[in-house]
Amino acid sequence: MMGDMIYLAAGYVVFWLVSFVFIYSLVSRQRSLQKEVKMLEQLVQDEPELK
Amino acid sequence: MATKAALSQQEQQEIDVTRAGFNWGLGLTIASGLLMLAALYMALVWAPDAANLQAPAERYAQRIFYFHVSSAWLGFLAFIVAAMVSLLYLITRREKWDVWSLASVEIGLAFFTMVIISGSIWAKPTWNVWWTWDPRLTISTICWLLYIGYLMLRGAVDNPEKQARFAAVYALIAAISVPINWMAIRWWRTIHPAVIAPGNNAEEAMGGFGLSANIETALYFCLFAFTVFYIMLMYHRIKLEYLRRQVETLKQQIIYRQS
Repeated sequence: MMGDMIYLAAGYVVFWLVSFVFIYSLVSRQRSLQKEVKMLEQLVQDEPELK
Repeated sequence: MATKAALSQQEQQEIDVTRAGFNWGLGLTIASGLLMLAALYMALVWAPDAANLQAPAERYAQRIFYFHVSSAWLGFLAFIVAAMVSLLYLITRREKWDVWSLASVEIGLAFFTMVIISGSIWAKPTWNVWWTWDPRLTISTICWLLYIGYLMLRGAVDNPEKQARFAAVYALIAAISVPINWMAIRWWRTIHPAVIAPGNNAEEAMGGFGLSANIETALYFCLFAFTVFYIMLMYHRIKLEYLRRQVETLKQQIIYRQS
């Protein structure tokens, strides 16, 4: 029975794997961009001539 | 463009809206997650076995159908939305529509990748091959490659205005592959079943099966869950793109004022 279900399991593993990879990439890109925004805003604030 | 000068008031308002909409985003994410779990239950437990499939491996693999078809629906939806907003971009030249187009293509590609891989896995117990150059499979591959090309085109053009314009025209042309892909199983001789067409050839096709009422209910529930999933992913991807453009703008501002 387990052998018969291998294709079903593989099909759903692929679906969830691609979904998680995509969502993880969104979250990690968002975190890194938020850090960058904070850093750049700090840079603008620290240099009065840039204001 | 925002990356060349300070953000326009309208663009800043759009960024503020996405920031202020955090609770809306969280609600959408939770609702979408719950719907996807319910869709998984419907597909794996609630839906009955296809009556005409005898071999156990084929019968189990048939349940890939629910997420395979829903992923294809989401891919088609995403590419059509990308074409529509690209047209809006060409008419209005508002950056917002370029952001939507990029977000939609990226999501569509992720789901089209799932369609191709899950279809190949389903093909093995049903057709006894992992892959065959059937018209539907061939056109799906062309469609997938066309949208890879969309992302490559964006990466190849540095000027943001040109990038948005070229990408919009490309997205409109690439979208022609969507109706051709949809109609491929109706126009040409193919072994891919057309399960949701009226008067379909599902049971005649290799591995095809009729849609009983419960199978149909489970399928439509999965289609609904995937549509909400798409809206949720669009929300977050658009938000991310605005953030990326905000970083670009801040960098440009710093460089401009220092020079």
